[in-house]
Amino acid sequence: MKNKLKFLVKISLNRKIKTKWFVLANVIFAVLIVGLFNADTIINAFGGDFDEVQKVYVKDNSNSEYKTYNLLKEQNESYKKLTSNSDNAFKFKKTKDNAKDIIKKDKDAWVLVIDNDKDNVIRVKLVSEGYASASEYAQITTILNDVKSSLALSLSNISSAELKKISSPIQLERKILDESKKSEAEGTQMIMSTVFPLIILPFFALTIFLVQMVGAEVNDEKTTRGMEIIISNVSPKVHFFSKVIASNLFVLVQGVLLVGYALLGIGIRSYFGSKSILGASSFDIKGLLNSIIGSDVMSQLGYVIPLALILMILTFIGYALLAGILASMTTNTEDFQQLQMPIVILSLVGYYLAMMAGVFEGSIFIKIFAFVPFISAILAPSLLILGQIGVVEFVIAIILMIVTNYVLIKYGLRIYKVGILNYSSKNLWKKMFKALRR
Amino acid sequence: MLKVSHIKKYYDDFLAVDDLSFEVKPGEIFGLLGVNGAGKTTTFRMIIGLLEPSSGKITLDGKPIDYSVTDKIGFLTEERSLLTKLTVLEQAIYYGVLKGMKEEDIERRLDELLEKFKIADYKNKKIKELSKGNQQKVQFIMAIINNPKLLILDEPFSGLDPFNVELFKDEIKEMASNGSMIIFSSHRMEHVELFCKKLIVLKNGKSVLEGDLKEIKHKFRKKNIIISGEVDTEEIKKIKGVISVNKNNLDYEVKIADESVVDLVFKVVSKGKNITKFLVEEPSLNEIFIEKVGETYEK
Repeated sequence: MKNKLKFLVKISLNRKIKTKWFVLANVIFAVLIVGLFNADTIINAFGGDFDEVQKVYVKDNSNSEYKTYNLLKEQNESYKKLTSNSDNAFKFKKTKDNAKDIIKKDKDAWVLVIDNDKDNVIRVKLVSEGYASASEYAQITTILNDVKSSLALSLSNISSAELKKISSPIQLERKILDESKKSEAEGTQMIMSTVFPLIILPFFALTIFLVQMVGAEVNDEKTTRGMEIIISNVSPKVHFFSKVIASNLFVLVQGVLLVGYALLGIGIRSYFGSKSILGASSFDIKGLLNSIIGSDVMSQLGYVIPLALILMILTFIGYALLAGILASMTTNTEDFQQLQMPIVILSLVGYYLAMMAGVFEGSIFIKIFAFVPFISAILAPSLLILGQIGVVEFVIAIILMIVTNYVLIKYGLRIYKVGILNYSSKNLWKKMFKALRR
Repeated sequence: MLKVSHIKKYYDDFLAVDDLSFEVKPGEIFGLLGVNGAGKTTTFRMIIGLLEPSSGKITLDGKPIDYSVTDKIGFLTEERSLLTKLTVLEQAIYYGVLKGMKEEDIERRLDELLEKFKIADYKNKKIKELSKGNQQKVQFIMAIINNPKLLILDEPFSGLDPFNVELFKDEIKEMASNGSMIIFSSHRMEHVELFCKKLIVLKNGKSVLEGDLKEIKHKFRKKNIIISGEVDTEEIKKIKGVISVNKNNLDYEVKIADESVVDLVFKVVSKGKNITKFLVEEPSLNEIFIEKVGETYEK
């Protein structure tokens, strides 16, 4: 029987891997993942005006010496320094022309028309061809407010030295008494915002593959009645375990390949020395790794990763068991496809709760879900990183998943034995409950 | 020897097989007949171990049928049991290995059988690309790939043309002559008559007729008389014990209640003209079946 189990596992794996569709799917995965890791380089290569600084023509009617215009330029430079990003600023140019005429010639440009105002020092009008984005509008408003303050102060006969002191940006120095907490928090934030979404996506995809694989195979063998020949030669138990083992091995192979494509993407990125063009929020792998390694989270990852892997493997086994049991109950592929989505969505619930855990810190509701089998695979590791649950609670989540798998094997196998040779949906639940009582 | 002793099978309160017993010895071809729902498939499933009898015992060479003996059994299901996405070779390896065979032995045996059934070119073709008839041949090959000691054939001739039916018949007869036990079910009574020495007819899960085919036919009181020539059919119809008189092409077929009527019919026929044939025949299995089951086989 051992040899037959080995053979069935081999057959299942070959049926999944030795196909042109597996190769094609993996070529697409490789292209997409490598592309994703190098998205900014690709976008940049195709060009566009996303890296151009907004051009702003200034028609300064406030005074003949262009005092307001000069102040505007000064504040723009200060703003650049403050935000450490040249993208968060504007390119100002003096003009005497009519705003409409300027925009007729340069449709992307903006025009600021500045006039004196008795009550408000200056009055400014922003003219543009189309909609000015909210962030850019906010930026230019900040700069103009600073300009207005400077003008107002100068009009109040304050000396230029005093004026400089007042106008200079404030130096807000950060002082964190416990440095370890600082790096820990930064590392946690880094993992939750960047690494975590990178893990959940493959986990979710692999769960779909696994559930689909088990369901499709059981259904195929059932609907073709090949199941009768198979089960007359190997026990339903051996058949069931062969599907569980094969699907988990497939997930392992596919998972390793996905990691390989990610490493290839990182390698290509490093080789071409890609530089972020999307601002601070873009994916900077080197910086990310340095931040994680440099933070105290590294020591935490030493036990979080093995524990998370154990829980994920147990969850994959649970998914395979559940998919096998449900597939054995269905009488055609369409029925299984309908059942498949709710199974897979369980892992998504975990993902969303993990995302919310940062917002609702200490939520008991979310903590409870960290123990719920299937959901725990994603939620428990994130709560562990966030420090909302401890190792003991995590081990409890693992034990609960083991218990779930045991129950699925013990009772699910009874259903499987009856289900795989049942071709009618008539009295289905009655048959299954009867099988459970055996 | 396959021994089925007093097996019963209940599905909840429904009794699908009721106290069924029979034996099949090596070299015998045994017919299991009955209308749809009579309990044939349930009986087959119990023999190959897919279902457990509610009571009774099934043994093969004295041992209960479990996974230690299923390697010696071949089974051809009524519906296709092929994984159509596989090639013929892949399918043979799949089922062959499950029967405990080595891959090289499977390929050798497959080549031999494909040649025999004249489909050697399809070895590496996907099963779904084959015609219905060729799929049935592949299904039959899969059932006998392991040279089974016990071969169960549920409607083996469905989808086959007469030429291929002959190929199947030859192989089945050869297997029986080599000592295999064969249990056979078919809608085609002429096939059952040709093959089976022994048979059992099921009705509502219960045996209504069983035994040696020759004896069954001999013991069956009703006979047929075939007459060629000019006879007074009205006179024949008046004879007590004559059930019916029908004209089939050039011959008259007279159905009689028992052999004692033969002399009376002969007396009337001898008065006729140009009589070239007077033949007393055993009834066909189909007639016996209809008589016993009360309805046609192909319900």
